Amino acid sequence: MENSEDSGDVFSNLPLNIIECILVRLPIRDAVRTSILSSKWRYRWTTIPQLEFDEMQFPTTSPLMIIRRKAINFIDRVLLLHNGPILKFKLSIACLQSCPDIDQWILYLSRKDIKEFTLRLDDSEWYKVPSCLFSFQQLTHLELLRCELQPPPTFKGFSNLKYLTLQQSFSENDIIESLISSCPLLEHFTLTYWDASSIQISAPNLKYLRLEGEFKDIYLKNTPLLITLSIGLYMTDDIAEHLEETTSCNLMGILGCVPHLERLVAETYFVKYLSVGMLPWNRLSGTYNHLKHLELFQVGFEDVDEISVALYLIVNSPSLEELQISGSSDIEIADESFDLNFWEMQHSLDCSSPKLRTVKMIEISGVQNELEFIKFVLGKSPALKNMSIKPSVYVKEGGWEMLVELLRFPRASPQARILYMQDQA
Amino acid sequence: MSEGDMAIMKPEVMKSYIWLQTADGSIQQVEEEVAMFCPMICREVIQSSMGSSKNYAISLPQRVNTAILSLILDYCRFHQVQGRSNKERKSFDEKFIRMDTKKLCELTSAADSLQLKPLVDLTSRALARMIEGKTPEEIRETFHLPDDLTEEEKLEPLRNTADDPRIRLLNRLYARKRKELKEKEKLKNVEIEEEQEDHRSVDDLLSYINGGNGDSKQVRAPKHKKKNKKKKDQSKDHCCNNANKNCKEGTLSSTCENGDKCKVVPSASQTPKQEDSADDTISPKVEFDDDIDDELDPAMKEKLDREVEDFARRLNSDWPERMQEILSLGQEGRAVPISMNGNGSLSRYTRLDRR
Repeated sequence: MENSEDSGDVFSNLPLNIIECILVRLPIRDAVRTSILSSKWRYRWTTIPQLEFDEMQFPTTSPLMIIRRKAINFIDRVLLLHNGPILKFKLSIACLQSCPDIDQWILYLSRKDIKEFTLRLDDSEWYKVPSCLFSFQQLTHLELLRCELQPPPTFKGFSNLKYLTLQQSFSENDIIESLISSCPLLEHFTLTYWDASSIQISAPNLKYLRLEGEFKDIYLKNTPLLITLSIGLYMTDDIAEHLEETTSCNLMGILGCVPHLERLVAETYFVKYLSVGMLPWNRLSGTYNHLKHLELFQVGFEDVDEISVALYLIVNSPSLEELQISGSSDIEIADESFDLNFWEMQHSLDCSSPKLRTVKMIEISGVQNELEFIKFVLGKSPALKNMSIKPSVYVKEGGWEMLVELLRFPRASPQARILYMQDQA
Repeated sequence: MSEGDMAIMKPEVMKSYIWLQTADGSIQQVEEEVAMFCPMICREVIQSSMGSSKNYAISLPQRVNTAILSLILDYCRFHQVQGRSNKERKSFDEKFIRMDTKKLCELTSAADSLQLKPLVDLTSRALARMIEGKTPEEIRETFHLPDDLTEEEKLEPLRNTADDPRIRLLNRLYARKRKELKEKEKLKNVEIEEEQEDHRSVDDLLSYINGGNGDSKQVRAPKHKKKNKKKKDQSKDHCCNNANKNCKEGTLSSTCENGDKCKVVPSASQTPKQEDSADDTISPKVEFDDDIDDELDPAMKEKLDREVEDFARRLNSDWPERMQEILSLGQEGRAVPISMNGNGSLSRYTRLDRR
């Protein structure tokens, strides 16, 4: 083996940027502990620009109070000894909820030109972020879980912010709307567990948007660069009632001006939402020339409007490559609402999805409308490779009849395979 | 640009090779697509038209010796091929980094000098894994690091780069601690070896007697740990301060009854403060008991304890008004520490995390 002194030198004498590389990859606790390795390592950790504290560093077997104290103690210590810029600060320790120390840490960080700030508290109470958080002018990345936001009146926006995630957080709706519009560079925005009667998003540089919560109305006003859109709704009685009363076309409110959309994910109830006020196609404008990936969850195939939304998106997205649909059909009504004329009209449409290669149909109950839909996709997709179909658990006897029916449908693509995915009983 | 020339003058064979010279003087030719995988080499070829012949070999940085270069080229040779699956790449990488630590360090350093970022990431991740979760002794052994910090040195003043008053305060604390250490040394000769827990309490007594206005926070007798934890749990249950106090006094007195030698000290340090919230006096000790770095050697542990304590003090004394303001900012729902800038030594105990 090598001369021991020599080898020690190799490690300790690594270029400082590499030592930093190593230290930032360590859990912060291990990084701090390198200070007692040797004289050369004494102060090495104190200049790492990223500080990430999470629960993993504290034994989970201890009572919450102990973890809490340990965590506070440790973070105080690290901040005291740290020397130099802190670009990234991440704190995700659930039990630190409503702990006043966090206010101080944030105040301390507010003098550090921090770029990325993450606070993931996950407990019963909301944490009201101190006003000094809103003075982080270098911030590019902000992620808050279970926080309450109340920017001071002097707040003029985060001029550098690109990434914003608010989960289970709380604020007035107009605060959020103005927060978004006062972050001119915002590219990535996530808002979940949100409760708002109406939300309007205006963000000229936004590329990624995810919304989840109780929304009555959603408007994408100025989002010309949007690439990925994912929306899920919680359907409350209140919202269901509101949707019944809505007369305007929801689809145009959201998908009216997103010319660069590449990926659309309609999570729970969003297809239902889009179907409200659905207009005849000739009165809808817009094609989605860049849309490659479309996922629609909980499509109610008993509802002609929901089916229309799905068909409309497929027909108007010439670049579509992947399609995933999960059904949520009410079997009782579905076959009553079956309208042969409607489908004959669709099948006779002169359209095709030239790039569609992969289709996944999940939770299929085998009702007529679903089968016609599959027939439509098979007939209009000349490049299709795989059409996989997973029957709903309620389909009796493995859906043998459904399968026989499916195999009869003509396929526009000679290489299209139908994969019938049955759960092993 | 020489690429065009090369294509004309030197057909197939030469065209696809780059000449490289390592710092130890050896020159070799390497397939172009492999060599060009290193940004540093790529830049040399494109910007300086180097590497086209033996006479114009690209001089590699000092840190790249022949043996390490051959490793790096193996890495490049594999990864420059398009169309490999992530799984293939991952399993190659895993095997690739199986080498002794000295070599791994050299490789990291060399890859860095060639700006080969994916390899720097790979190797520094591997090095980080060798440190993660290990004790200082294990790490020293792995990397053959000298254990050149004596207990005294571990308490040496922090470098005061920014003329920060905090650091000055810390250093004063270190100085005091060093003095205590010396006292301890003296006492060691008298005391029996096994009574480790006693040392601290003696220290404590000393500092108490020496008028170290309650500097007894380093009391950390193991027996106490349990007691304090119990107390903490109790204080969690009872919101009422009085109830708390009673519990604590109860446990304390029972501690003394147990007849353990060192238990006098905590009560001593506590007595003068009992008119204040009992929780205040307890909490610093409790925190230190729950020291995260249980495996740290005691000297370091003590050092860190002091630093935290000082941090708390700094927070209290440096900008009390500011803190007060922030803490009272619409936090009705939350416990706000009392007596942030209370007078006397008590205020330093007022931890902000108390509920």
